[in-house]
Amino acid sequence: MDITLGHYLGLSAIIFGIGAIGFLTRRNILIQLMSIELMLNSVNLTLIAFNRWNPGNHAGQMFAFFVIAVAAAEAAVGLAIVIALYRLKKSVQSDHADSLKH
Amino acid sequence: MSNAGTTIFILFAVIALFAAAFTVTAKSAIRAAVGLLAHIISLAALYLTLHAHLLATLQLIVYAGAVVVLFIFVIMLIGPVSEDKGTDRGLVSRALGAGAMAIVTAAIAFNIWSFAPDAPAITSCPGGANAERWTTNEQGVASVTCGEFGGVRSFGLELYREAGLPFELISILLLVAIIGAIAIGRGRSNEEVEALKARKAARLASPVVAPEPVVETESQPVGGE
Amino acid sequence: MHSDFFSFGFDPGRLLLWIVLLPLFGSIINGLAGKFASRKMVSAVAVGSVALAFGLAIACFVKLTMLRHAAGEEGEHARILYTAYEWFSVSVGNVNVPIFVRFVMDPLSGVMALVITGIGLLIHIYATSYMSEEPAYYRFFCYLNLFMASMLILVLSSNMALMFVGWEGVGLCSYLLIGFWWENPTYAAAGKKAFVVNRIGDFGVLIGMFLLVYATQSFEFDAIRHGAANLSGATELAIGGMAQADHHSINVSMATVACLFLFLGCAGKSAQIPLYVWLPDAMAGPTPVSALIHAATMVTAGVYLIVRLSPVFVMSPVAMSVIAIIGASTALLAATIALVQNQMKKILAYSTVSQLGFMFAAVGVGAFSGGFFHVFTHAFFKACLFLGAGSVMHAVHAHGDADIRELGGMKKFMPRTRMTFLISCLAIAGFPLTSGFFSKDDILLGAAFVGTGAWADYPSWVGWLVLVMLVIAATMTAFYMFRLYFLTFEGDFRGAHGEQHAAAPPAPSHPGVEGAAETHALEASTDAHAVAHDAHGHDAHDDHAHGHDAHGHGGLPHESNGAITWPLMILAFGALAVGFLGLPHWAHLPNIWEHWLEPVSARLPGVETEASAGLGGTMMLIGTLAGLTGIAIAYRWYMMQAGETPAALAARFPRLQAFLMDKWRVDELYARIIIKPAEWLSNFSSEFDKVAVDGGLTKLPAFAAQAGSWAFTRLQNGLVYSYGAVMVAGIVAITFWYLIPHPNLQSAVQGADVKYVAATGYGYEYRWDVDLEPGFETNWDTNTHEMTASFERAARNRGAAVMNGRPGSPPPVIQLRHGELYAFNPRDFATTEWMKPNTDGTPPAMTWQDGKLLIRVNDAEVRQDGLPTTTPTISLAPGESVTIGGRLIRAAGVMRGTVEVRNVFGYVSRESVEVTIENAMPQAAPRGAEAHADLRGGL
Repeated sequence: MDITLGHYLGLSAIIFGIGAIGFLTRRNILIQLMSIELMLNSVNLTLIAFNRWNPGNHAGQMFAFFVIAVAAAEAAVGLAIVIALYRLKKSVQSDHADSLKH
Repeated sequence: MSNAGTTIFILFAVIALFAAAFTVTAKSAIRAAVGLLAHIISLAALYLTLHAHLLATLQLIVYAGAVVVLFIFVIMLIGPVSEDKGTDRGLVSRALGAGAMAIVTAAIAFNIWSFAPDAPAITSCPGGANAERWTTNEQGVASVTCGEFGGVRSFGLELYREAGLPFELISILLLVAIIGAIAIGRGRSNEEVEALKARKAARLASPVVAPEPVVETESQPVGGE
Repeated sequence: MHSDFFSFGFDPGRLLLWIVLLPLFGSIINGLAGKFASRKMVSAVAVGSVALAFGLAIACFVKLTMLRHAAGEEGEHARILYTAYEWFSVSVGNVNVPIFVRFVMDPLSGVMALVITGIGLLIHIYATSYMSEEPAYYRFFCYLNLFMASMLILVLSSNMALMFVGWEGVGLCSYLLIGFWWENPTYAAAGKKAFVVNRIGDFGVLIGMFLLVYATQSFEFDAIRHGAANLSGATELAIGGMAQADHHSINVSMATVACLFLFLGCAGKSAQIPLYVWLPDAMAGPTPVSALIHAATMVTAGVYLIVRLSPVFVMSPVAMSVIAIIGASTALLAATIALVQNQMKKILAYSTVSQLGFMFAAVGVGAFSGGFFHVFTHAFFKACLFLGAGSVMHAVHAHGDADIRELGGMKKFMPRTRMTFLISCLAIAGFPLTSGFFSKDDILLGAAFVGTGAWADYPSWVGWLVLVMLVIAATMTAFYMFRLYFLTFEGDFRGAHGEQHAAAPPAPSHPGVEGAAETHALEASTDAHAVAHDAHGHDAHDDHAHGHDAHGHGGLPHESNGAITWPLMILAFGALAVGFLGLPHWAHLPNIWEHWLEPVSARLPGVETEASAGLGGTMMLIGTLAGLTGIAIAYRWYMMQAGETPAALAARFPRLQAFLMDKWRVDELYARIIIKPAEWLSNFSSEFDKVAVDGGLTKLPAFAAQAGSWAFTRLQNGLVYSYGAVMVAGIVAITFWYLIPHPNLQSAVQGADVKYVAATGYGYEYRWDVDLEPGFETNWDTNTHEMTASFERAARNRGAAVMNGRPGSPPPVIQLRHGELYAFNPRDFATTEWMKPNTDGTPPAMTWQDGKLLIRVNDAEVRQDGLPTTTPTISLAPGESVTIGGRLIRAAGVMRGTVEVRNVFGYVSRESVEVTIENAMPQAAPRGAEAHADLRGGL
């Protein structure tokens, strides 16, 4: 069996779906953040796979590169927020952080 | 793709899927982090099959080396609170969202599975994959003109030529993220908290304690002293 | 010209501009700064600006006279013209008609300008004394100067548009000045009434103006006058916009319609039936205002306009007859009302209405010069009468109006006022050799002249009818004016201090003519008035009490000061003297007036205007007799008796007396037939607004917004899961949109080809069917999102016949496949003659054969390229056309393109588009070789 673009795209779609479902169903912010990382990684895989089938330049890989950088920044800020939330509420459950609703 | 490539893809794809599923289903956050780590490493392997050598390396350094470690630090900092206790709250919307997402994912994945365009050959420098071409101009300055697809040289060349500005902007973004993370995450020292409490108490005690003279005259425009 | 004294080294026309601008500046200065200035300053600015304007008007007038003399025979067209700038322009049909701010002084506007500034100056001087107690002194003079400016714009403008500016301006000032004492609701209502009634008239002026501009394509009076001759032709006027149906249209001349509309405006401004009702109420304003605006100048604007446009009016004897009859009726009606009134200013107001009726009767019978002469003389004696009345009221401290039953014997107290009043009464009564004598005789002569049938187009009975009515009205005029005079100035003062009043019982319900003989307490009289009139709600009686209160400590009446008496004396002199400008022509005396106005007043078409001396003498005799009779009756009833006869008459005909006292109950009639329905409609609209608009249309959306916001707040539950679920819903929608390919097929005709373009997308593959045969010609390909099909090739199989349809609807198209025979069903095209079956049973038909439309016709008329042809079968290539039985038919080719698009998910979408090409195939047309290659390249 030859592995082609479709397989990579399908795989990344499934990983994205797992990440999204994790983000939607879990209430632990840490795991939600990890789910976001999963989704970002699946996007990276898509970009790199497309780039492999279009190798005239590195546009896809370059996007993936930037996504990794942004994901790192996002993780840093996100985890800082988790710590701040923990200080405030003594909890990392996302449904405890609903003050803005009121 | 070669048989070896197929084997590698299937192996790491399966690992990536299971690791991802473990990440989102794990009861404890530390287990989830370990799942994430496995997932990231297997993705790096998949990147290699896609001829993205530099990105595979970056994936390992940035994700496995930095992000996952950061997660683990935070979990250690927070301790047992990070354990998920489970709840029925928002069950309907959670189920609806997850179900819809699952349907979409399945629709995309099954439809795109058979999309099989021909893979173009990787262009490389004349003289073989590892041949490197340097040119030297009249001033004697050497520059690289070509490199293998996905390799450090060719990727770097294109990055600095085509995407210099975004690359610099990313450094600013990271700087801002560092400062923001410090500002949000460091909290306040005891002295600072005491000072804040004192100022608040003083403000509550006397309403005209604000010391700025301009405001003072504006709020009390009585001239006849 | 420049050596001339009056040119001042520059264009004398510029003086015209300053005549208008000076009062305007005076008004602005007083309006803005008058509040902070002393009364002297305000008076100086107001009187000074008018005095300067008067001086400039004299200068211009002298200059005009000199121009006329210098030009000799051609002096008829002498004028002073000044064009300030082009204001704006309008399109009338295809012609661009400019509207200028342009002033002109010709004989007509010259006289008017002199009257306005001259009498205006006297009244300004008078008002400095009369209004000296007024707190809002500066406001009064601001309005008064603004009025002067507006009135001067009205008379000096050279075109109708600018005249309308002045027309509206004087209406506004009239409103402002009638309601000058707006604290009194009655006065404010009087102002509003004047304004509203004038609006009705202004509507007429506007329509008349538009009609004239439409007909003559110019706003300029000169052009309209010159174009007047073309207006007499009959115009078919469609009623209800149904021009096709003949029985719904009437034939009238444009001149008649325009003149009747203009006359509606003149009737509003100049207080003629049916719009006269505002003028008596307008006496609520200060007396100088009544004298200047509502007697001497503004109300004569209607007469001015008719004289100005007299060449248009003489084109329509119908409109002239209407004007004459309405004028005479107004004269008679107002005179009868004035017979029984007891308020000084009210009598004078009805007298003004009556005299305006005289003027309109005059212009209605074609005596333009005579009618305008009466405008001129009337300005003097009526201004003098009003100012005299004001002087009397000033003397007895009556604020709004004075009741003549409470006056009397004033000649003892104010001899100068009395003398001037007497002179003016004589003038208005037409006493021989006074000014009114000459002008009134001119009018009577004019009526008698057309009565003799001198003007063939004009119904002579109108002349006689008008003459009889005017003579009766003239008799009444003399009577009521001298009744006013005798009761006011002769006899004994019946004012507040008369000991004989104290114990008198309250007056009967209608204190009418008999009131003169009665003696009653002032308060009782006022109360009786209230009973009699307050129901009507628009009599300015409230201030009696005010005026009478002042009696208590005011002492005896006294003569007014010089600022009041000098204008009176000047005006009285004018009332005596100006008549000699218009000595009767028939008596072979020099009629300066008529000669002066010759260039502007129209001659009656086909009439030798020289009346016989016999007719003139008769009319003069009749006029004099009428005046003397009226004076004699008044003398007998009010001087020899103490009013017993009128009291007896009133007792015998109480209903008639009450009817006259109530002013023929016209106001009540209007209230019932106009105001009541209008109020009902307003109330209904208001209720509709409250219930339907405020209730339904605003509350319903408010409720919807509330419900919607309630629903949306439910979504804001603060749970990340919910927000995530909503986000997923969006993702689902977007994903499924992208899962299905969207061809979005477009087509464009490019010369002889049709280019189809489908949307692009990643992984899209296309296949095309553009040749009308089943099956796709191309295989799946990712690159062919564009496809070009040759019209020649593809349209061979299908075509269409495009017919001219009804206006506003798309033309019917009959589509034909190759070789398909289309036989017309006559029922489908009932109105089309040629599509009825042939007599031999073969219906007309068409077919599409080898890219051509073949039409088999019946015996209908066939025209190709405008030429009749008898070919039984017409062959048309696409783009060619033929007319059969009046119906244009064009051949067109039809092309159809279908595309299927497949995306990476394997989904396939299909879309078709059909193109009808009505143009000829451009084989012969020159085309760039590259463009050609480019288009073919797509195939």
